[in-house]
Amino acid sequence: MIRHLSTRLRSLFRRDRLERELDVELKYHIDMLIEQNVRAGMSDLEARRAALRVFGPVDGIKDDVRDAWLSRFVETAAQDVRYGLRNLRRNPGFALVVMLTMALGIGANSAIFSVVNGVLLRPLPFRNGDRIVVLRQGQGDTVANNMGFSPKDIDDYRQARSFSDVVEFHNMFFILLGRAEPERVSSGVVSANFFDVLGITPMYGRSFVPADEAHGAPAVLVLSYKYWQRSFGADPKVVGQVFRMNDRPHTVVGVLPPVPQYPLEVDVYMPTSACPFRSNPKNVENRQFRLMQTAFALVRPEVRLSKSQADLDLVAARLGKDHPDDYPQTNFRATETPLKQDLTRDFKTTLLILLGTAGFVLLIVCASVANLLLARMVRRERELSVRAALGASRQRLLRQLLTESLLLAVSGGLLGLIVAAATRSLLVAYADRYTSRAIEISIDQNVLLFTLVVSILTGLVFGTVPAWSARFDVAPALRDGGRATHGNRGLRSALIVGQVAASFMLLIAAGLTLRSLMKLQSVDPGFRTENLLTMRADLSFNKWPLNMERRLRTQKTADYWTEFEGRLRAIPGVLEVAGSSTFPLNERGPFSNGLQRESKPLPPGVQPPQVDYRVASTDYFKTLGQPIVAGRAFTTGDTVDAPGVVIINQSAARHFWPNENPIGTHISGGTNARNEPVWLTVVGVVADIRQQLEQKPHDEVYVPLGQLPFSSTNWVVHSNRPIDQIAREVKAAARAHDPDLPVANFRTLAEVRSSSIEKPRVTASLIGIFALLALVITAAGIAGVIAFSVNQRTQEFGIRMALGAPRVGVLGMVLREGLTLVAIGLVIGMAGALALTQVLQTLLFEVQPTDSLTFLGVSTVLLMVAVVACLLPARRAASVDPMIALRAL
Amino acid sequence: MAPKSDLLQGTLDLLILRTLATGPMHGWGISLRIQQLSRDVLQINQGSLYPALHRLEQQGLIEAEWGNSENNRQAKFYQLTREGKKQLAEETRNWERLADAVARVLAG
Repeated sequence: MIRHLSTRLRSLFRRDRLERELDVELKYHIDMLIEQNVRAGMSDLEARRAALRVFGPVDGIKDDVRDAWLSRFVETAAQDVRYGLRNLRRNPGFALVVMLTMALGIGANSAIFSVVNGVLLRPLPFRNGDRIVVLRQGQGDTVANNMGFSPKDIDDYRQARSFSDVVEFHNMFFILLGRAEPERVSSGVVSANFFDVLGITPMYGRSFVPADEAHGAPAVLVLSYKYWQRSFGADPKVVGQVFRMNDRPHTVVGVLPPVPQYPLEVDVYMPTSACPFRSNPKNVENRQFRLMQTAFALVRPEVRLSKSQADLDLVAARLGKDHPDDYPQTNFRATETPLKQDLTRDFKTTLLILLGTAGFVLLIVCASVANLLLARMVRRERELSVRAALGASRQRLLRQLLTESLLLAVSGGLLGLIVAAATRSLLVAYADRYTSRAIEISIDQNVLLFTLVVSILTGLVFGTVPAWSARFDVAPALRDGGRATHGNRGLRSALIVGQVAASFMLLIAAGLTLRSLMKLQSVDPGFRTENLLTMRADLSFNKWPLNMERRLRTQKTADYWTEFEGRLRAIPGVLEVAGSSTFPLNERGPFSNGLQRESKPLPPGVQPPQVDYRVASTDYFKTLGQPIVAGRAFTTGDTVDAPGVVIINQSAARHFWPNENPIGTHISGGTNARNEPVWLTVVGVVADIRQQLEQKPHDEVYVPLGQLPFSSTNWVVHSNRPIDQIAREVKAAARAHDPDLPVANFRTLAEVRSSSIEKPRVTASLIGIFALLALVITAAGIAGVIAFSVNQRTQEFGIRMALGAPRVGVLGMVLREGLTLVAIGLVIGMAGALALTQVLQTLLFEVQPTDSLTFLGVSTVLLMVAVVACLLPARRAASVDPMIALRAL
Repeated sequence: MAPKSDLLQGTLDLLILRTLATGPMHGWGISLRIQQLSRDVLQINQGSLYPALHRLEQQGLIEAEWGNSENNRQAKFYQLTREGKKQLAEETRNWERLADAVARVLAG
């Protein structure tokens, strides 16, 4: 029987050897036939021919033999499956519990893996995806101190020999006219060969050609797939149509295929020549006109990344030397990051933590199912013994048990895929807050393969444990009249300890992230978030003729916003109105600029430290309730013609004016056209606030909207009236002010605040769900083990009580048994948690990974759940009727 | 356990098992022996002999071992397993019952 099994295993794994043996065997037969023929008097050749004729087609025979090998294996497997299915049908409750547990465990992993696969593992969906790097330049940490790039910078980096090209991208908002309504479109301004470098071919029409980029070339547009679908109803005839933008006709020349867009999603693309700012010759000449956040380079196929970085270093060093006024003279460098890596920089750690927690859940699920199978094994012992007695070999029975486990695991895996598919849209929305690769998340073949492998592995894990512990001895099981003789108690206890330990760690992770979230939610940002309505208003670039003199243009824009503000304030019930570049907690951040004090000149070549700049209207601080701690707020007198003024925050005051009064002193954030610093007077100091809940206040400089009127503004309206009423009236007021002014994105500041912590909230929820799942499964496991043990010891309890043991004593005995396991698990879990929670550090806000309150709380919760889980079966033990129990002996 | 088999295949299996009941033998030997015993009435077709041998081996009714043949060459020797012996006894009974029944019908 063992030989027979080994043949079959060989037929699976040692196919080559079997084939060789078959050749030898058949050749022997043919040789014998030849010999026989020769003896009968044939010539050698004749004998061989005759033998082969008699023997028949060798290949055909071999095929038939191979069929014999295979059919037997398939047949046994099919038999195992049939028998397994019958067995599971006989215990539908058991099968259902196991499959659902598996579905949750595997589903959680498949779901998280589908995200990992979509955003981390899959190659970028472009031809050149793996050779694109993102460039940054700055002092020291180029990500934190990224200066951005000017067109001149890009030209110079093109000299780096490792790159076959460097392309620019910057994002602008323009108003597209010529359709039913003016449309505010997000535009990607790119080099002509942008799409060639990335390796994207348009779906309709063409992409850009070098001629499009020539100064004064007719303006052309390429539409993104999404925008084309949304705004043009997917009409291919849009290619060739002409729209007005920035006072020029723009011709649509192409439509992109549905590919993810990097670095960010835009509606249309235009060559650099079409952007009124980028194409302005004065800007092109200015090295400090750094409107590109990043640049993209295509690394030559034969160049290794370390080599291209060395090339970048060379260019950066030369730039600093050749243009000392335009680059920091110390610690200046340029860096490259593979695009694929750059796109998920903020997400990777979180994602891997989530995958890890899901893995823990699966381990707990495995332990729990193994435990269920062990318990069931005791009940099946008789059946297995009978089969063993009837001649089934140990291997055959083991195989049968494993087949059943695999059946359970694979059906659990299939259900798990449903879980993964059902949660996909939720996870995409979540991932979308971290990375533009989110749309690539799908249940693809990698996810299917992952699920299959995980299912089979878990099936093997939880199937092997009980299978190996099973005894197929004929005698004892049958002799005992079918009463189970052993319960694998040691193994089952170990599994429970493991489950408790793993659950504890997961609960700690959940507790820490939850506490961190609660801290985030209760942070006092230092300003009012109630009864405020926020919105965005964008002035079209072609509101004033583009050739209008700059000062007049500034004046007109300032007046335009002053009038708009007046209209908003006139709405009944509106208490205050604030106009600004952006408002606290908004996705749009401040802009960075240097801060230089007039009284502390910097040595030549030293760049001033960068601080946050924000534009604020007269009532901005009053509206937000951000206290002015010294000096004054902006007034209507701070106009274009008046002397330039700024307000700084306390943090900037501390850092730049230690033990000094900043009011009345002069600072500069930049230079004028003649490269002289423009000095501004500090007129006030405002209290520090958190612009993002998780960030400590930065150093800030506020500039009056009246002196630096942005065309793209955000507004905050303070009113005690219902917000949706106010929103309606604001829209009406905006229309009355200027029908071409798009006002959009109405949200209360409370909503913005809530949305700003959506990422930690979802992360905490996911970990919380995983931990809760683990807790429930573990509690059920504990209850199951204790109930089983109580069942086995019914007689013992009966005797004890008959001999006078009080019920409470029996109850205590059972409880002690359960809680000992839990306590051991808790200690192990605590050690594990202390070792592992450090990895959570990046997710935590003002909570230590060893937070004692969390550890205490989680221990308490776990113990309480464990006590309940033990009490249910323990009560049954205590209620055993001694007489009945004894009679059953 | 045994697969459903048509008369012919079942018969071949029975003949192989019966032949092996006398001792270990290689494929060539089996085909010779059946030919001899049946006084050349039954010509074993090699096209079915080897698949049948391998099938019986997979079923665990016979087992194989490499050994030296009478002319001192490597050959695969088959012999009955315990299960094979049981199967032979049963099949033989079945065959006799069948032959008996057929004979009775023909005598009818």
